[in-house]
Amino acid sequence: MDPTTAKLTLIAPEMVLCFGAVVVAVLGLMQNASLRRSVPLISALFLALSVVACTWSYSTDAAESSGLLLPYLGSFAKPLIACIAILLVMIGGTAVDRRLEAAFDSGRVPFEAVRVLRGEFHAFMLLSVAGTMLIASATDLIWLFLALELSSLPSYVMVAVGRHARKAQEAGVKYFFLGAMSSAVFLYGFALLYGATGTLQCTEMAEVLSRQAAEGGISTLAIVGAVMAILGVSFKLAAVPMHFYAPDVYEGASGPVTAFLGFGPKVAGILALILLLSMLGWSGHAAVLNGQEVKLQGLPAPIAAMLWMMSVLTMTLGNIGALLQRNVKRMLGYSSIAHSGYLMMGLLAGPEAGLDAVLFYLVGYGVMNTVVLAVLCALERNGEEVETLEDIAGLRHRQPLLAWTLALAAASLVGLPPMIGFFGKIYLFTAVLEQGQTALVIIAAVNSAVSVFYYMQLVVLPMLAQSNPRSETVTAVQSPWPKFAAVIGGVSIIALAIFAQPVFEAAQRAFRAPSVVAASTDADASKVTHTITLDR
Amino acid sequence: MLNFSLLADATDHAAATAIGVIQPAVDAPDLKWAGLIIGLPALSALLCTICGAMRVRSKLPAFITIVALIGSFVLTCMLFQQLGQGAPRVVGLFEWMSFSWGNADRFQSFSAPFALYVDSLTLFWMLFVTGLGSLIAIYASEYMESDVGKGYTRFFGGVSVFLAAMATLVMASNLVVLYLGWEGVGLASYLLIGYYYSKPSAVAAAKKAFIMNRIGDLGLALGISLIWVNYGTVDYATLFSVLEAGPTAGHGDWMPGAIPFLLMLGAFGKSAQIPLFTWLPDAMEGPTPVSALIHAATMVTAGVYLIARMYPLFALHEDALATVAWVGGLTAFVAATIGMAQYDMKRVWAYSTISQLGYMFLGLGVGTTFGAGYHVFTHAFFKALLFLTAGAVMHGFAGQIDIRKLSGLRKVPGFRLVSYLALLGCLWLSALPFSAAFFSKDTILTAALGSERSDFQFLGWLGLLTAGITAYYTFRVWFRTFAGPVHFEAGDEQHDAHDDTHDPHHAPVAGLSLGAKHDFHPHGPRWAIRIPLILIAIGAVAAGWPAYNVLFFHGENWVQSMIAHSSAVAGSGEVHGQDVLGLSAHLMTSIVGSTACVIGIGIAFWMHLADRSAADRVRSALRGFILTRWIPTTLENRWYVDEIYHMMFRLPLWAGSHILHFFDKTVVDGFLVDGTGRVPVAVARLFQPLYNGVLQGYAATMAGGFVLIAGWVFWIWLRGNG
Repeated sequence: MDPTTAKLTLIAPEMVLCFGAVVVAVLGLMQNASLRRSVPLISALFLALSVVACTWSYSTDAAESSGLLLPYLGSFAKPLIACIAILLVMIGGTAVDRRLEAAFDSGRVPFEAVRVLRGEFHAFMLLSVAGTMLIASATDLIWLFLALELSSLPSYVMVAVGRHARKAQEAGVKYFFLGAMSSAVFLYGFALLYGATGTLQCTEMAEVLSRQAAEGGISTLAIVGAVMAILGVSFKLAAVPMHFYAPDVYEGASGPVTAFLGFGPKVAGILALILLLSMLGWSGHAAVLNGQEVKLQGLPAPIAAMLWMMSVLTMTLGNIGALLQRNVKRMLGYSSIAHSGYLMMGLLAGPEAGLDAVLFYLVGYGVMNTVVLAVLCALERNGEEVETLEDIAGLRHRQPLLAWTLALAAASLVGLPPMIGFFGKIYLFTAVLEQGQTALVIIAAVNSAVSVFYYMQLVVLPMLAQSNPRSETVTAVQSPWPKFAAVIGGVSIIALAIFAQPVFEAAQRAFRAPSVVAASTDADASKVTHTITLDR
Repeated sequence: MLNFSLLADATDHAAATAIGVIQPAVDAPDLKWAGLIIGLPALSALLCTICGAMRVRSKLPAFITIVALIGSFVLTCMLFQQLGQGAPRVVGLFEWMSFSWGNADRFQSFSAPFALYVDSLTLFWMLFVTGLGSLIAIYASEYMESDVGKGYTRFFGGVSVFLAAMATLVMASNLVVLYLGWEGVGLASYLLIGYYYSKPSAVAAAKKAFIMNRIGDLGLALGISLIWVNYGTVDYATLFSVLEAGPTAGHGDWMPGAIPFLLMLGAFGKSAQIPLFTWLPDAMEGPTPVSALIHAATMVTAGVYLIARMYPLFALHEDALATVAWVGGLTAFVAATIGMAQYDMKRVWAYSTISQLGYMFLGLGVGTTFGAGYHVFTHAFFKALLFLTAGAVMHGFAGQIDIRKLSGLRKVPGFRLVSYLALLGCLWLSALPFSAAFFSKDTILTAALGSERSDFQFLGWLGLLTAGITAYYTFRVWFRTFAGPVHFEAGDEQHDAHDDTHDPHHAPVAGLSLGAKHDFHPHGPRWAIRIPLILIAIGAVAAGWPAYNVLFFHGENWVQSMIAHSSAVAGSGEVHGQDVLGLSAHLMTSIVGSTACVIGIGIAFWMHLADRSAADRVRSALRGFILTRWIPTTLENRWYVDEIYHMMFRLPLWAGSHILHFFDKTVVDGFLVDGTGRVPVAVARLFQPLYNGVLQGYAATMAGGFVLIAGWVFWIWLRGNG
């Protein structure tokens, strides 16, 4: 298969989603109410279809011949994104313009296509998901930049339109401006990288950089470019120092959008960082120089030091920030910062052990975070979103199933066995420990302990606390779907823990090198051993 | 004069050939159906749970349980028919635990498959466990009828769990599965003692039973672990062949010696022996069928079973067996003395159970597993009979069980049969000459008296004294309760509102506690109570058959040959013994034992029937004299054992826990936990102003952070190059 065909084959899921976005956007404008109502279902169908497309495209030899740096990355990342996105559609399916639709139904307001939001909301969501998926199959920096933008831009709109409140618009504007700033930073970093290496192709850039590394160090220009690129992309992750927006935006956006922000951009950022760092070269890489194989030192020292510092600051600031919060969504904003810190720790560990643990952690984090927000979205108080800790006090007496699910998800976020969160942390921490980063693991463990303080509120308040006058007016929303999503997620928190091994093995397979290279090494095929032959 | 040495002939052809040799086990995959003996009660427990979930309000759970237990009994009989006294069979049911570790040089593996070990000891135990279990379940179907509904389902679920666990315990092929059953019966016992969970005393009793058993179970668990460490197996068949091959070196000298003592601790806990006996009297808080089944006939004999099963291990250590004998003999005596001074009929029977179990341990200790096994067998029937008659009284008199408030029940309509069956039980418990219990107790005491060890001879005399005390307290209860003038006060047990609808032939008892006791009409038991009572009474009489067979027909003692074909073979032989005071040990025991029985009954007759004030006069006479003042109070207060335990263990623990609690509250929680928690919160406050929500501020802070991080990288860069 020639490279172009291969690349096109690999982005089949993205194509499905883009087509889906068009269909959904059109359907959402229909005058026929039942057609409009079918929008969430249709977008879920397209997401499911994209999962099928993933399994198809990666089963052909497209990945082998596409010339990607990490050809199988998408085989794990794309279905993961799509599956979580289906849960997100279930949560937010009808939430966006519930009141407007009710008004149309009652006949008080005549139908106006301009005011309908549902179609564009779902279309934007599918586009953002497609953008995130495209990162996994990026072959050059332009592609990477465009994919990052495709994943970001729709999310700005989703924040703004997802909720009929001034807070949401404020959050949308903040998110957009700060996002634009970060884009500028990493775009500048990409430009510098181009300047330092003379190429935009990821594979070629990796070759040039490893040659530089083998010959006495990566050029300063490339280091500066990489620093800027990483810092810019860390905005997507909400990692220090680009994390400031997260609490405000999470709080301001509507529940389903918060759930999306907790997962989509995080995956996008992690995938982009994996791509960038693999160009810089991990310790698994080796270069053949003058017929001799030279083992590379791994990430350049400054980059490793930066990642170390960012990881420590991110998890620490995230956790202590979450301690004071009374608003659950704001708390989750901070907690998502903390989780980014843990994830970056895994990036530092490299492909030998760390990256599969990172992907596995993403699975767990995505499910847990989505479940907590699904529970919040399944509740309402006088038609308003349930947000504060007071609202969920004594939830067990009114909604036992949701209360149990919330407690389960929170306990899993802490990392208590036997839930998925525990296995995620175990894999991640042991992977980092194997790399000799003992101090980092200790810091992460202390951070996990701190996180108990705020996560346990999500367990204790719904399960043990007495109801207060405020929480007594909390009821379940009319639509059964958010509750259904919460239960599915709750079940998978346990089920994924039971089947942790196969999932982890799938994550390992995502980092396997093309078989041409893997065949030359008798090492475990799941480990990356890039050997780049340099002809000079 | 009859030939009292009834065992002499029997052993010639039965046991003599097999003494000291445990037959090697044979794999019998064709006997897999024997797993159903455990499976049926387990299934019944499941069905009862489903009944509970479906809120069944009928006697369906009782019906399910009875069918399952009778099924188990029939299967046991079939198994008995097929195997008889043949070689032990090992029936593998499924793989359960199997680990292996180490490399080729030092390969270790541990396996405990869920398999059955069926030999004649197993069958012997299973026959009376399932048989009595079925009868008592039938009895309970009427006894518990005032609770039809949730409680009824829970009760029969518990009974099914018990039977499944007991069958697992007895039929296990290795110690780990035995332990599973051991814990299972403990759980069932806990659940059923606490059946009336709204009664604080029942809850306390359940906890006490469970916790005291934990202490014993710890010993058992450690013992099993040491067996594995020392002998490399927990499987009976392998263990016995290892032991037969000769004493192994093992890991250090202390280990083989410690094993029997640890196992013993488990047995003492389960069988309520000193020092772990105080839970059993309290366990009488449970419904009476439970007392009869679990706390008299079956579960409490698990300790005897354990020692009999592990007899080859105990036989290696004379000290271990001597300890068992001493504990058994002393328990028998102490419990009997306490039994003299109790007023609650069920508690008297509970102390008598402890006392009789003491005899069994004495038998094991002095080396007659046959005597112990036979006493288990006879005791199971007459003690079940005594409890069930007590239960019938309780059932009819609204929970009344105080022997001071019941009299002359023999003449109350509906209670004639119960009274005479109780008399039969009392006679058997007193070891009336030529009753079944007479022979079994005789064997044990003969072995003790005829022993070469003087301390065992002392225990034998103590046992004979205990026999007299036993006869006294047993008939104290019978003469007080069933004989004499008719007089009774009803108990204050509230029957449910639907009580009179299901039981039309007795007057409504609602409002009893409101002083309307003169309107009370006791209701006699119906067929579901009577038939099991009669069958168990027949069983109690027939339990004498193995001895009569020897005595009159010069046949063999069935129990003896059953024991002789099992792992307890070492002590199953005939009991000869030395002469005691010029007479043969047999003759001595028989004569003194019979005399003690008659004297005991005679004193009871005088003090509790002929002249009922005599008992009080004796008591005040004892209290009036300074040297004997302690006797009545100490006995009434059960030798202050509970109080001593309270002082020795509970008080220090209570004080210690309060000190630790204080430490935890102030230092750990107050200072360490909350203090540590406050640090991040304080730091969070510090950073709070940064998150002020102003867009420009965020952009500026991000840029600042960017510069800081870039500066850090630059510094690392410089340091790396410089």
